[in-house]
Amino acid sequence: MLDINNLTITFGGLTAVNDVSMHLDEGRIYGLIGPNGAGKTTFFNLVSGVYIPTSGNISFCGSSLNGKKPYQINKAGISRTYQVINLFKKMTVLENILVGMHTQMKSDFAASLFHLRKERREEEEAVEKAHQWLQFVGIDQRANDMAGSLPYGEQRLLEIVRALSSKPRLILLDEPAAGMNSAEKETLNGFIRKIMSELHVTPLVIEHDMKLIMDICDYIFVLSFGKKIAEGTPQQVQADPEVIAAYLGGE
Amino acid sequence: MLITLFVSGIVLGCIYGIVALGYSLIYKASGLMSFAQGDLMTVGAYLGITFYSYMKLPFFISIILIGVIMFFLGMGIERGVIRRLRRKGVEPIYVVLATIAISFIIQNGCQKVWGPVMLNFPSIFKTSTIQLFGRNFQTESIFTVIASFTIMAILQFFMKKTKAGTAMRASAMDPIAAKACGINVNITTGLTWGCAGCTAALAGVLMGPLYGVFSTLGSQIGTKGFAAAVIGGYGNFVGSIVGGLILGLLETLTSGYISSNYRDIISYTVLILFLFIRPWGLFNERTIKN
Amino acid sequence: MSAFIGNRNRLGIMIFIIVGLVLPLVFSAMPYAVLVCCYILIYLIAVSGFDVLVGFSGQISMGHAAYYCIGAYGSAMLHKYTGIPVFFTMLIAAVTATLVGTLIAWPTTKLVAHFMSLATIAFGNIVFQLVNTSPGRITGDANGLHTTYLSVFGYELNTYTRFYYFALIMVLLFMLIKYNLLHSRVGRAMLAIRENDHAANGMGVNVRFYKVAAFAVSAFFAAYAGAMFAHLVRYISPDSFKQTVSVMFLTMLLFGGTASMSGPIIGVTIVSLLNEALRPASSYKMLVYGVLLLFVILIFPGGILGVMRSMKEKIIQKRK
Repeated sequence: MLDINNLTITFGGLTAVNDVSMHLDEGRIYGLIGPNGAGKTTFFNLVSGVYIPTSGNISFCGSSLNGKKPYQINKAGISRTYQVINLFKKMTVLENILVGMHTQMKSDFAASLFHLRKERREEEEAVEKAHQWLQFVGIDQRANDMAGSLPYGEQRLLEIVRALSSKPRLILLDEPAAGMNSAEKETLNGFIRKIMSELHVTPLVIEHDMKLIMDICDYIFVLSFGKKIAEGTPQQVQADPEVIAAYLGGE
Repeated sequence: MLITLFVSGIVLGCIYGIVALGYSLIYKASGLMSFAQGDLMTVGAYLGITFYSYMKLPFFISIILIGVIMFFLGMGIERGVIRRLRRKGVEPIYVVLATIAISFIIQNGCQKVWGPVMLNFPSIFKTSTIQLFGRNFQTESIFTVIASFTIMAILQFFMKKTKAGTAMRASAMDPIAAKACGINVNITTGLTWGCAGCTAALAGVLMGPLYGVFSTLGSQIGTKGFAAAVIGGYGNFVGSIVGGLILGLLETLTSGYISSNYRDIISYTVLILFLFIRPWGLFNERTIKN
Repeated sequence: MSAFIGNRNRLGIMIFIIVGLVLPLVFSAMPYAVLVCCYILIYLIAVSGFDVLVGFSGQISMGHAAYYCIGAYGSAMLHKYTGIPVFFTMLIAAVTATLVGTLIAWPTTKLVAHFMSLATIAFGNIVFQLVNTSPGRITGDANGLHTTYLSVFGYELNTYTRFYYFALIMVLLFMLIKYNLLHSRVGRAMLAIRENDHAANGMGVNVRFYKVAAFAVSAFFAAYAGAMFAHLVRYISPDSFKQTVSVMFLTMLLFGGTASMSGPIIGVTIVSLLNEALRPASSYKMLVYGVLLLFVILIFPGGILGVMRSMKEKIIQKRK
């Protein structure tokens, strides 16, 4: 599904991602780990179109994503969440989802300006669908609250479900468990599994919580200083001497 | 005629350049753009008339007084308005708008205090004209050219080579890191705006004898000075002067050979072209946008 | 920012329409007051459109009077030199301004806030200069241009009261369009762009397109308002389209409150009344604008509407 070949990006003198190649198939939960500064978020930024690679290519479901803008990549079927919460804080929870559903709706300019009947119907259906998304993650009672007023854990969930509402085939989750307590992490664990099993969306998760990653993921990639140093099942990765060295050495 | 136009262009360009230096100074030390610079210049010019012409104080004393007043005015604006807004964390556009509002207040305030009629700024020098290349030029204009290059050199030296200048640059680039190094960010920022106020004042005093003094003096020249800063490279001192010279020459040559009606159109078109195609100016390096 | 139409809003609309219909009757003995009301309606259209640019998509234009100017001069000149009826020249001028706006917007939307201000100021100045010293004096230069009344289906709007009712209908039309935009997918995309354009991009919103679209819409509103202005006062000169007008639009919008229907109404009304009150001391106008603007930015960036909303919040909190 996702093919990454020799992906490299250099900023000035620093090579943040160095000749990384990966292959992801549908139907598995993937993890991306590595010590701090390994280039994981930079990698996400490359795949989601925020950065343009210096060299290498990214291919998704057969078509190349190189040089595409973030909104085009979203349309192509990849959605993401961010390390720092990037919600539309002054809009309501429901509206956040509706924006996430932007590409799922068809009303163009004329229909919007003149409130044509097909636009009205589409809006109503969208609102219903948005409520369903909120119910999926259990925050529907907050639908009309300002997104910024939600407790931290719920904001994280909202960001994930907003990304899901774009109906992607691949979702990039950047440290979704950051700042969560163990109860919230349990919920997140089940939730990510649901994303795979019920929605058939493939997650690629960046995380520092090893317990969560090893428990959830079918396959893991390890980055260190911009290079991929290992990949494999959780057991294989845990036993890999290079991975152990990277984590211990990087303390 | 070409010679006269050329020298006039240089003089005008140096004025734009001094104003641009003020803008660049604020940007280099604050990361902000202040639309009020031009109008601070107007205040400087009016103060010049008040001290030098009305109160008959010696020129040197007047300059010092004006410098001090404008210094505190610049600092005051930074502390009273800019700092508050930054602390509030408003969108950067609001800071820009605040300086525009201040510029309006100053403009209108000047008009109220000194009247709407254009005032005459008496000559500073005993010799009213200097001969150059066989033509006569107002002494003040030549002085302006010398002054602008001098200020540019001083600022360049100060920013790059002195401790205080480095502190200012550090505060602008990363206030938190600067604080960690023991730099008092608030004071350095205030000082920079004060200095910018001074350069504006100087520009005003230099311009007074050349153009007369009126309340919209600053806004007209101010916008052009801003344009010069952008063209030369925002935050770059050499760029500010060069940008000013380019603009000044462009305007005077257009006035002379085509028509004075199209001066402004040419200047603003060049500005827009630079903004669209090369917003980092001539002398800056391209910055990677996030 | 969300304002789903509820019963309270329906009441507000009713009040607005009733007050609007009744106003000229109240002032029937003072044609000058009706003229002021006409100004208010015209500015309301311009500022409502301006809100789409500033309030919805979070951009800035410090030279928006340029589109107001293109609308006015465009309609007047088109009618003068081709004889096309005013009703149509107004639309053509507005469409032309929209095209110009779109063209200028395309590179402008890339710029950050302060550069965008500079670029739009420059554009505003260029338009002003072109109108002030036009090639072949086609705009009449500083002497200005005289033009005629607008006629709707043969009915000539040659009194302030007649024009007023036409303007009222146009205001309702434009407000309806703005309202539809605000509550549609397009409007939401713009609001999201203002909130967080990176996240919006990541959610599939073509940020560039919607930013340009916001410019285009605001240009159309401003230009049509300008055309209305031209055929109301029937004499336009470059003086009416200086930088001060751009600042006035901005003050009206920020003072009233952005991204809303009633914000512009509040801002335009109050600032217009202020304009009238300052007529004897018109030299203080700029000072007042500056102070108002600064006040709004420093103390209540949400404008009057923002203050009202936070007061409502406090009351709701207290009740809980």
